[in-house]
Amino acid sequence: MSLLRLLDVLAGHARRRPDQVALVRGEQLVTYRQLAGLAEDLAGALAGLGLDRRQPLCVPAHKTPATIALLIGAFQAGYAVLAPSPELGASARAALAAQARCSLVLTVDDHGVLDTSPVVADERAARGFDPVDPATAPLLLTTSGSTGTPKIVPIPDDAFERFADWAADRFGLTERDTLLSYAPLNFDLSLLDVWTALRLGARSVLVAQESSADARHLQELVTRHEVTFVQGVPMLHRLLTQDGAVHPGVRTVISTGDALPPTLLKQIGTAFPGAGFHNVFGCTETNDSFLHDIDPARAGEETPIGRPLPGVRALLLDDEGRILDGPGTGELLVTTPFQTRGYLERSRNEGVFVAAPDGGDEVFYRTGDLVSRDADGLYRLRGRTDFQVKVRGVRTNVQEVENVLAAHPDVAEAAVVAIPDAEAGYRLHAQVTRRPGTSLTSLRLRTHSAERLPRHAIPSSVLVGDVPLPRTSTGKPDRNLIKAARQKGNPS
Amino acid sequence: MTSLAEEIRGYVVAEFLDGEDTADLTADFDLITNGVVDSLGVVRIVSHLSRTYSIPVDDIPLVPDNFRSIGAMSAFVEDATKAAA
Repeated sequence: MSLLRLLDVLAGHARRRPDQVALVRGEQLVTYRQLAGLAEDLAGALAGLGLDRRQPLCVPAHKTPATIALLIGAFQAGYAVLAPSPELGASARAALAAQARCSLVLTVDDHGVLDTSPVVADERAARGFDPVDPATAPLLLTTSGSTGTPKIVPIPDDAFERFADWAADRFGLTERDTLLSYAPLNFDLSLLDVWTALRLGARSVLVAQESSADARHLQELVTRHEVTFVQGVPMLHRLLTQDGAVHPGVRTVISTGDALPPTLLKQIGTAFPGAGFHNVFGCTETNDSFLHDIDPARAGEETPIGRPLPGVRALLLDDEGRILDGPGTGELLVTTPFQTRGYLERSRNEGVFVAAPDGGDEVFYRTGDLVSRDADGLYRLRGRTDFQVKVRGVRTNVQEVENVLAAHPDVAEAAVVAIPDAEAGYRLHAQVTRRPGTSLTSLRLRTHSAERLPRHAIPSSVLVGDVPLPRTSTGKPDRNLIKAARQKGNPS
Repeated sequence: MTSLAEEIRGYVVAEFLDGEDTADLTADFDLITNGVVDSLGVVRIVSHLSRTYSIPVDDIPLVPDNFRSIGAMSAFVEDATKAAA
């Protein structure tokens, strides 16, 4: 059973175990009976609106039981749903909604009361975007998108089904499990810790965005709700294991989204004495593609991304685009049973979703990741082939952030650099030269950025001045010097 | 601004803005939406306020709205210290 039929599945859970808790958020416990009931009411309300089913609904992905019920109700009523980050600025969200030809932006409060606002149709904005098919890809996620308009990724319903089957089987998940859902609802991680959990009849404990850095609160959630499954970026594991906390009830720990430092790995081993540990590698476009089982006691300096999952094919291509056999380092191309058929914007797919380079009949995704393979067939992530870094686990394109800053009318030039950071993975630092005669401040530039970028992509430090940026011999901004100057000033 | 707000403003300028002190930093400038303070930043602010104004950490709910602006922070500290007195 799939997302399309999720309400039927929930109704089944509700009949068999009506008082089983489906979702936990703060003090709110929502049983399967309540969730199925609310989703059914919302499905009825949405069906009554009589909107064109070829137009998706835009539902900002607030991490609440009512929002989840709204998505389930919308699928039931035959709508596809675009679920962008709730933190996305209003103009960026409007652009996405217009591109996907959404009819309405919908939100729902904790009492199940709907709020609707129409989307202004804009054929120019939607030009070049494929129509949405609610019967085959009911859920539209977006890439994290460091610029104002992330890319829309339709999640095929059969791809979700294969993924949920794989995940439940691989991690031995059943209706008796309680999964901690740490990532935002618009992230592909929620396909496991929310959507697969509901499909199974298990419990999902929703971490509110505003509590995501509160170590004590997170630890308390795991203890109080007897969480058995934890999936998240290394920062989550750092917070959960802080101050010597121990979680004997957790059976499965998954680290994803970023490299796991060896010291943290040792800490995790101690903090979860009853758990199996896995590093999972993937992205929104393909969902999970690699897995590595970790033994914290025997872990080395770096954690491999592991080996391709069953049904996944991985190829490494060298600089000339030739397929590497055996050990070597190259760009990773991957095809998974869980992947999208492509971005909604057709032109974005060119050169990204490509025919199998070895003549197979699958479509491969060019990850842009530089990956090595050793003689045993074990893969390790080496970096990116482009300007991308991870800020708190979210892929961010430094150059795109730079373009946004440079677009401010008072900016003469701007350079953005990524500075390694123990907490965040990377932090962005911007150095900006303002136009003569203007009185641009870092605060005004931040406000400008906040309107156009998701929050993680707003540089955490912004240095605005009147002197030109330092230059390399070829006349480009000297990003290495800017980076070094910043790191020297802040030896953290 | 009150002297309490001035004090908090000085802390924000030094800790989060590299010392850049401009008139744009009003009492209601949204520090969270504008990316000056992230979720880890909120944790730092809480521990600073707790130390500086002797408010037990347990009495400080990690609600971002309490720390969204200099005005919000000083109102929060004022209430919390009043409640304790």
